[in-house]
Amino acid sequence: MNKSPWIFLGVLFALSLSWWGMVYGPASQANNLSPELGAGDPLRPRVGLAKQGEQVYRENGCYYCHTRAAIGGTFGYEIQITQLGDDRQLNAEAVDRHGKYSEKSVFQKAYSYKAVAKAADALKAEQDKKPEERDEKKIQDANATLISAIGLSNDISRGAEEAVNLKAYGVSGVSFEKDLLAQLGLPAEMNANQARLIKEASFPVTDGSESWKDIEGTIQKLKDKAGAQYKLQPVAKEWPDVQKGAGRQSVSRDFLFDEHVMVGVRRFGPDLSNIGRNILFDKKNGEEVANNPEEQVIEDNNIYKHLYDPQWNGKSSHMPPFRYLFKERKLGENERVQSGEIEVEKEDSYRVAITPTAKAKALLEYMKSLRNDKPLQEAPLVRRKQASAK
Amino acid sequence: MSENTDSAANPAPEAKPEAINASCRLPVLFLFFSAAIWVVQASAVGVLGSLSMHMPGFLPDFPYLTYGRLEANAWVAFLFGFGGNAGLGLTLWMLSRLRGMKLARPGFVVAGAVLWNVGVTAAMVGITMGDQPGVPGYELPAYAGRVLFVGHALIAFSAVLTYFSRRHKQLYPSSWYLIASLVAFPWILGTAHWLLVENPVRGAAQIPAAHWAATSLQQVWLGSMGLAALIYFIPKIIQRELHSRQWAGFGFWMLLILGGWVNLNSGSPIPVWSIKLSQLASMLYIFVLLAVCWNLLQTAKGVPLIGSRDLTLKFMGVSFASWALVAFYTFGNSIVEWNNLLQFTYAATAMRHVFAWGFFAMAMFGAIYYVAPRLFGNEVDWACSGTYKWVFYLTGFGVAVVALAGMGFSYGHGYALQESVGADVLAKKALMPMRIAFLGELAFLAGSLIFLCSIACLLFRNCCGECNPMSLIRQCRTTESEGGAK
Repeated sequence: MNKSPWIFLGVLFALSLSWWGMVYGPASQANNLSPELGAGDPLRPRVGLAKQGEQVYRENGCYYCHTRAAIGGTFGYEIQITQLGDDRQLNAEAVDRHGKYSEKSVFQKAYSYKAVAKAADALKAEQDKKPEERDEKKIQDANATLISAIGLSNDISRGAEEAVNLKAYGVSGVSFEKDLLAQLGLPAEMNANQARLIKEASFPVTDGSESWKDIEGTIQKLKDKAGAQYKLQPVAKEWPDVQKGAGRQSVSRDFLFDEHVMVGVRRFGPDLSNIGRNILFDKKNGEEVANNPEEQVIEDNNIYKHLYDPQWNGKSSHMPPFRYLFKERKLGENERVQSGEIEVEKEDSYRVAITPTAKAKALLEYMKSLRNDKPLQEAPLVRRKQASAK
Repeated sequence: MSENTDSAANPAPEAKPEAINASCRLPVLFLFFSAAIWVVQASAVGVLGSLSMHMPGFLPDFPYLTYGRLEANAWVAFLFGFGGNAGLGLTLWMLSRLRGMKLARPGFVVAGAVLWNVGVTAAMVGITMGDQPGVPGYELPAYAGRVLFVGHALIAFSAVLTYFSRRHKQLYPSSWYLIASLVAFPWILGTAHWLLVENPVRGAAQIPAAHWAATSLQQVWLGSMGLAALIYFIPKIIQRELHSRQWAGFGFWMLLILGGWVNLNSGSPIPVWSIKLSQLASMLYIFVLLAVCWNLLQTAKGVPLIGSRDLTLKFMGVSFASWALVAFYTFGNSIVEWNNLLQFTYAATAMRHVFAWGFFAMAMFGAIYYVAPRLFGNEVDWACSGTYKWVFYLTGFGVAVVALAGMGFSYGHGYALQESVGADVLAKKALMPMRIAFLGELAFLAGSLIFLCSIACLLFRNCCGECNPMSLIRQCRTTESEGGAK
């Protein structure tokens, strides 16, 4: 510690460690994030007024009192089996720790497909032998086994939806020739939707309310013994915000198109992660307010009034008023507001008409754009049952 | 202390302390006086910001006085205005003394200090006009960042020349910290400037990058300058050797490695591995706490720091205790449940205040009290030096109140955030710690005003030889009493 160059180099090296972990690593990962949500409805960048609103939010330092991030908590785990292993008994043992999943039609159907595939392979192996080695008896037996397997497969969950059959086909992990597909009641030529269903097929074993302790044994069995393939999805279970009604926690992809990401410092005002949905949708019936222009105007005006005078209507709020975002004029006794104006009744019983400036309008549009009500692969919408499960 | 005892392999002749002080006089005093102005600005703006929260109807028609802008302004004024000026001034003086050489190129320092203050002023004006970049804990507009970068480069140039002007066999641990602060600042500023303000990185990657910049500025940059002062002044005043260089080295490297990682909130919308690494770093931070505390406590064994008669030592004592408290809070953040409870409450802000005012400002106040008179030589006229103890009492009181508000009253807000309570209850719980801490902020303002007056008194009485304002007033009075011109 007495050689100056070593001190300089050491300082650079020591700083580079945290720089790598907190700056370079996350930046590289963020570059690989895709706006695709998987349902043909990708995330879109903010444009127009909403984009300008981000600047208004920033220049007023709204992020010092409002957050756009959830209070952390524990995760529950959802296990999705994407391919069942060959040993039916072991697989049934593994999944049945969490319910009677092995009795579900998708599970049984998947193993019936596996039996068909096995029988078809046996038949093909016999038929492919050289003529002098071929045994007609064995071929007939294999053929009979195949027909029986097909029959059994068709008997299981007869009349089940096409989706169940295709899902079972997906998680069975086998592939069939075209003629066999038809015999199994599966479409010989898959369209894009059917192909996607098979590709994304999975079989839920837990619903996301289980803790890691609960599923640890299942994971080990599935992985080490049963040979199944699975996807492990953490679900924000005991997160206070989720328990209080938020659809899910905020994740990286929610900020994909934010020019300046402002997650917030303290939560003196409400969390704004999903404020857009609260403004745009009716809280009682869940319908989009935009469908009813009059109702939308009322909702917008309520936000404007809150910005102009947070204590308006006797509300208990400690938010400082943002009057400079509005033009105001005092109304006469019987005077009515003009078009575009909003009437606000002051505590000392006089009325003012306020007109939102471009900045106020932009801020409102920005707030409307703040939504995390769409399910993401890494953050599924949490069902109430999951959220309240302890 | 190594500055007196170390012998060099082929050293240049060591300069006398008087000559070193004389070489530092203009640039360091300029930096100290600037710091005194900025610390008043920081505390005044902070009080104004808090007022707008406690009285929502307070000045609602002025966009530049809204809470978000005042909060950003207060931190910029403290961090870059006071922290930069006081820290760099002390760095230059300590490096000169530790190397036993006169300050090299003081003209560069003066030019750098002027630029630095122009940069901070530009930042304050920019934020007031709504130009803040949205990075809490950094908040420098792009143009201000560039000016600060150049200003720092000029000051660091002088510091590095001074540092390399003479070789010692042994580097005193304070030198490590000072070098680290000089190297870390341009790196942190460059990263924040380029990746958060000029060309922001994509989406959520800004969250850990902003956290790294803000945390590094606080823990590494301010932390290094403050700890350098503690490690320098405590042994010097009690006239003992530092207990262990090994412990000092361990604490130093651990601080540099972990400083930028710690305190990330557990619910942050970023990849889980970043959060887990941050929690691990917060947990390992206990080693920084142990290394620094053990070393300084062993050094000062049997000597009451806060209860000392020496005012500088008192300042250093509170500074040390505040640093330890914040380090312990940092370690506490590795406990997920605790972090979940307090992450969006006033607790983190309170701990930042304790770090800023309790640790850094106290260390700087104490150091300036020691250094500033020495820069004038042996005959110093500092008639109001007695008022300086009020800087200690008021700032110390403020720190205690803010710490109590943050760590004692933020739990109510934390629990309210976890439960389904009404908006009015939540607002009350959220504001309770702020209301208490407001008393502390008022004490900071009073303390910093006394500090400014005290430094101004020292300067006006001693600067410019016979032409200083006090001498002129005295001459006028003498002339008047002798029946001269009226």
